[in-house]
Amino acid sequence: MAPGPVGATNVSVGIANLPNQRHKIVSRKGTNFTVMVVGESGLGKTTFINTLFTTLMREYKRPEHRFNKQMDRTVAIDVVRADIEEKGFNVRLTVIDTPGFGDYANNQDCWVPVIKFIDDQHQLVMNHETLPNRKIDDLRVHVCLYFIQPTGHTLKPLDIEVMKQLSSRVNLIPVIAKADTITPAEMLAFKERIRDCISTHDIQVYSPAVHSDDEETTRRNTSTLAAMPFSIISSENDVVVNGQNVRGRQYIWGVAEVENENHCDFKKLRNLLIRTHMHDLISTTHDSHYEAYRVSKLTAEGRTDNDPAISARRNFEAKMKEEEGALRKRFAEQVKVEENRFRQWEQKLISERDRLNEDLDKQHTLVKQLEEELEEIIAARKR
Amino acid sequence: SSGSGKSTFVNTLCESPVILRKDHLDAEKAAAPKTINITPTTIEMDEDGLKLSLTVVDTPGFGDNINNEPAFADILEYIEHQYEEILSQESRIKRNPRFQDNRVHVLLYFVQPTGHGLREMDIEFMRTLGPRVNVIPVISKADSMTPQELNAFKKKVMEDISHYKIPIYDFPYDEDEDDEETIEENTELRGLLPFSVIGSEDEIVLNGRRVRCRQYPWGVVEVDNSKHCDFSKLRYMLLSSHLHDVKDITHEVLYESWRTEKLSKEGHHDDDEEEVVID
Repeated sequence: MAPGPVGATNVSVGIANLPNQRHKIVSRKGTNFTVMVVGESGLGKTTFINTLFTTLMREYKRPEHRFNKQMDRTVAIDVVRADIEEKGFNVRLTVIDTPGFGDYANNQDCWVPVIKFIDDQHQLVMNHETLPNRKIDDLRVHVCLYFIQPTGHTLKPLDIEVMKQLSSRVNLIPVIAKADTITPAEMLAFKERIRDCISTHDIQVYSPAVHSDDEETTRRNTSTLAAMPFSIISSENDVVVNGQNVRGRQYIWGVAEVENENHCDFKKLRNLLIRTHMHDLISTTHDSHYEAYRVSKLTAEGRTDNDPAISARRNFEAKMKEEEGALRKRFAEQVKVEENRFRQWEQKLISERDRLNEDLDKQHTLVKQLEEELEEIIAARKR
Repeated sequence: SSGSGKSTFVNTLCESPVILRKDHLDAEKAAAPKTINITPTTIEMDEDGLKLSLTVVDTPGFGDNINNEPAFADILEYIEHQYEEILSQESRIKRNPRFQDNRVHVLLYFVQPTGHGLREMDIEFMRTLGPRVNVIPVISKADSMTPQELNAFKKKVMEDISHYKIPIYDFPYDEDEDDEETIEENTELRGLLPFSVIGSEDEIVLNGRRVRCRQYPWGVVEVDNSKHCDFSKLRYMLLSSHLHDVKDITHEVLYESWRTEKLSKEGHHDDDEEEVVID
C-alpha cells in the first residue's frame, strides 16, 4: 500500500492531544512491572528491593531454617507480588528472586533454572496469543539486575557466563553490590575494568537512549550511562545525619548514605528503573526480547513466513495420530499380558482346588473306613 | 575466593608488599577457568626482638571458577605433600640436618561477609581441610558490616561450624593443666572467632600519627584500631602468643594422625614387626 500524501494541518485538529489520551488510559489501567534480581546470596538483593520501593517486600530468610537448605545445591525461583500506589497510579509489581544462585562449590549450570524461567514466560505469552481469551498474568521479566560481588578485581567466570546468557533474553543491568566496601578511587578502577570485561565478551547490557530533545534529559542520560555499572548501597533503616533522617548504614567511623550521590549510584538507578525508563524497559521487553524469542522458536519449529499455520497443524496432527496408534498398541499389549497373567493364576487356583478336593476325599474315605471298623468292633463286642 | 582481600591482608600483616597484584585483572583472561597457583613466599620478620621466618602460601584463583571442587583437592595435596616430605625425611637412615620444615601450621580461610552464615563451599572446604591443618576462619572486608551485623554474622558462622561439626583451631585449653591467664586469654580469643579483618597498605596521618586505613567519603576505617576490626589481635596471636601452640598441634596431632592413616593404609600395623620403608 503506497503511503498517502504527507503534510501538516494548518488548523489544530487535535492530533497533538493523543499523548494526553494515552496518559489517561495508562494512568487508569496501571501497569505491570516485573523485576528479577540475580546474584549470590548475601549481596543485598532483598535489602535492595525493600529499599527501592520503600516497603518491606521480602522478608529475610529465617536463620534457623538455613540448615535445611544450605547443602541442597539447588537454585530456586521465588516470586513476590505487590500492588504499589503513588498519587493514584497503580503498579502491579512482581519481584523474582533466585536464592541459591552461585552459592555452591560447583556452580555449573546454576543459571539454567533462571534462563528457563525467563524463556517460559515468553513461551506462555506466545501460547496465549493464539487462544481466544488472551488475558493472562504477564510475568515476562522487564528488567534483570545482576549483582556483582565487590571484589575490586574484575568479573568472575560465573558472572560472565550468566550475563552472556541473560543479556540476549532480557534487559540486563549489572549493579555493584555492597558498594560501601570500596573506596571511591578503587570504585572508578573497578567500574572501568567491568566495562572492559563487558565489551570484551560482547555482553549486551541495557543502555538507554542518550539523545533526547531536551538538553537537561540528554545530560542526565549521559551521566547515567557513564555511571554504569551502578554501585549501590541499600538500607532499610534511617539514621540521623546532621539533624536529618536519612536512609543509611551506621558504622563506627561514619554513616554511608543511600541517597547521597557521592556515596553510591542508588538514586541514578532508581530514577532509571522507575522515574524515567520504566516504560522503555517494558516496551523493549515486548518489542525486542519477546520478538527475538518468538522468531527463534518458530524458525526452530521449521516455520517460515511463507508457510501458513496449516502445514504445522498437519504435521502436528500426523504426529498426534502416530502417538495415538503407538499408545493403543501398547495398551492392547498390556491388556494381553495381564490377561495371560490372570489365566495362569486361574489355572493355578483350579489345580490347587482339585488337589484340596482330592485330599478331602481321601480324608473322607479314611473317616468312612474308620467308622466301618468301629462298627465292626462294636458289633463284635455285642456278640 | 578472589577479591576477598587475601593479598592485602598478607601485605598488611607483613607490613611490606610481599604479594604483588597479578594479571587476574585482565579482562580477556577473566572468563577462562583458572588453575589455582599455590605459591609460597618467605620473608624475615622481627617480632618483639625475636627473629621470625614467615612463609606465606597464597592461593590466587581459588573459588573463582564455576566449578571449584578440583581446587579443594589441589590444596589438600599441597598440604599432604609437605607431610610426605617430613615422613620420608624421618624414615631416612641418615637424616639431613638442614632439612626445611615446610609444613603449613595455620590455614586462614577467608569467609565472605554475606551476613547469612557459611556457604556450602565454605563448609565443604573447611570440613575437608580441617583434619589436616589448623583452620582459622577469618571474615574479610569487615568494613562492609555494621557492628550489629558483624556480631550476628559471627554468631551464625560459629553456629554453622558447630552444627556441621567442622574442625577448626579454636584455642584449646586444658581446664586442669593450664594457668588462669592462659585459660582467660584463650576463652577471649575463642569468643572473637571468626576474626574480622580489614587490610590496607595505604597510610595517612591522622591526629598526628601515621595510621593504616581505608578512606571513604563518610569516614576513615583504621586497620589497627581494635574497635574497628580484630586485625591486631589476630596478628598478635599468629606471630607471638600462639605461634608455638599452633606449631605443636601441627606436629603432634595433625601430622601424627595423617601419618597413622597413611601407614595403616599401606598395610603397616602397630603390632607388625616390620619396619617403616627405608629410603
